[in-house]
Amino acid sequence: MLERETIGLLGLGVLFVLLILRVPVGLAMIAVGIGGNYVLSLVVPYLRFDPYLKQFKTLMWGTVANYELSVVPLFILMGYLASHANLSRDLFQGLNAVVGRFRGGVAMAAIGACAGFGAVCGSSLATASTMGKVALPELKRLNYAPRLATGTLAAGGTLGILIPPSVALVIYAIIVEASIIQMFQAAIIPGLIAVLFFIATIAVQVRLKPDLAPKSAAMPADERRRAYLRLLPVLAIFGSIIIGLGIGLFTPTPAAAVGATVILLYGLALRVKNPEEGLTLSGIKSSILDTASTAGMIYFILFGAEVLKGFFTRAGLPATMASFASTSGIDPWMMLVVILFLLILLGCFMDSLAMILVVVPFFWPALVEVNGGDYVTAATSAYGMGPEDLKIWFGIIALVVVELGLITPPVGLNVFIISALSKGVAMSQVFLGVIPFFVVELFRIALLLAVPGLCLWLPWYLSG
Amino acid sequence: MGHMIARLAAGWAVLGGVLVLSIMAVTSINVSAFTLDRIVRPFGIDVAGLPGYEDYVRLAVSSAALMFFPLCQARRGHVTVDLFVSWLPPAVRQALDRLWLFAIAGLAAFLAYWMTIGMLETRSDGALSPVLGWPEWPFYAPGVLSLLLWAAVALSQILGPEPDA
Repeated sequence: MLERETIGLLGLGVLFVLLILRVPVGLAMIAVGIGGNYVLSLVVPYLRFDPYLKQFKTLMWGTVANYELSVVPLFILMGYLASHANLSRDLFQGLNAVVGRFRGGVAMAAIGACAGFGAVCGSSLATASTMGKVALPELKRLNYAPRLATGTLAAGGTLGILIPPSVALVIYAIIVEASIIQMFQAAIIPGLIAVLFFIATIAVQVRLKPDLAPKSAAMPADERRRAYLRLLPVLAIFGSIIIGLGIGLFTPTPAAAVGATVILLYGLALRVKNPEEGLTLSGIKSSILDTASTAGMIYFILFGAEVLKGFFTRAGLPATMASFASTSGIDPWMMLVVILFLLILLGCFMDSLAMILVVVPFFWPALVEVNGGDYVTAATSAYGMGPEDLKIWFGIIALVVVELGLITPPVGLNVFIISALSKGVAMSQVFLGVIPFFVVELFRIALLLAVPGLCLWLPWYLSG
Repeated sequence: MGHMIARLAAGWAVLGGVLVLSIMAVTSINVSAFTLDRIVRPFGIDVAGLPGYEDYVRLAVSSAALMFFPLCQARRGHVTVDLFVSWLPPAVRQALDRLWLFAIAGLAAFLAYWMTIGMLETRSDGALSPVLGWPEWPFYAPGVLSLLLWAAVALSQILGPEPDA
């Protein structure tokens, strides 16, 4: 007779088989959740199937009728409106006016613009796609080496997932019951480090091989003035969202809703001023349709994860993982490295959100247990921090690792997007271009592991 | 037929989008009222926020989120892992695709069935939102319709070529 934990593990195996067979992730999660519960009911008599089925009367509505999760469509709409109102272009051109005259400056401007756009977008794939469309033609026009141009944008796109507000951070915070605001605060310094490292990577590359980025002529004065003028409102909008969220002035839903409203009004005002610019009605409609498609995908995975979580819990998997972790004597740091390695591996072919939703609930209890349990103090814990800090630190590192999966050869999703946008550039060139950024990302992960204060200091400081 | 269902899904999603725009408007009014209240309170003037604002957001987003599912299906937007089946012969890939579409349609119908029961029970229980006191059951209705439309989109994709949304 099978034990219920074995059924749980078999369910996990079936989930991966279904994913490999190209079953939509949400469907695979729900199929395993319901099917697994049926098998459990056959093996464990008290886990009856009929009462389980009845929870579907309210489970789906209950999952989506969630005030905190309302940030998902709001942040996504904000990103699409910003993109349709050409704020991404204004941001890039403005930064280009500031640093474009230096060697490699246009690529550095693209990194800055990716970080800024990531602040209103919250998704790495969307950041890579939007900024790729804006910056690649300019980099090509200025004869930047294709591998530097494409590598920069594939790597820059990864900033979207970490720079607050990030949809993935919101969802992680909800899963582990962490404060969303504290997660946003914790992401700021690692996000800025990534921007600095990426810019330094470009600087070193063009210093070693100047032909990667020809020095461009200074922008004519009137063109530069126009670019500055258009940059200022964009910086004001994007900056107030990041700073407001970072210092806890807004909670996420008002920040997202007000941010989206301001961008909508700004886009319409631009249109009134100049009929060639700003947001059109069709732009608003496209933004809504794109939001619907992306948010529908996220909500389906969220619901799938809810069903799957119910199965794992009934199968006793999280408790088994926790008990295994506490009794096996496994080295806590080794366990952390194994989890992070697994995340990189899965990140090569799996959607980052789905990965967070499947992997985090599975490993989180074990991680808490090897740290010393729910009530451990920082002084006696394995990682040198209590469970609340562990939530924040692990979440940020997990997200950085998930980002890395987006540019990990041979199947980083951002690389596919940038390669598709830059017609005529071989995929191998994009991967070659990504390698220096990949190496500094590994260094950043090591830094965040070695110095948890980089994630934890700002939330500590801002919460007094 | 498939094209018409896809257009219906797009129109339905736009209605969901209008709900999201209403959340933006309500939130902006609420935040403006609180900000104004802080400014004018020293002068003895009170500006009230919108009572039950969080209730409204919760109820509106519950409908909007589910109204997005059919369009996401029409655009084949639900995430899949494409890596491993790409080497399979096209006929096998197509057969798998149709099988999963059928499963999606079945799942959507299953969820619509249970959600309808949930709606009827919520109605007979007289469940109300905590602050506004609005009945919750009408907010299940767009969800049930969305799930049925989602099933129809998936079925139309089995029968015909991939429609454009």
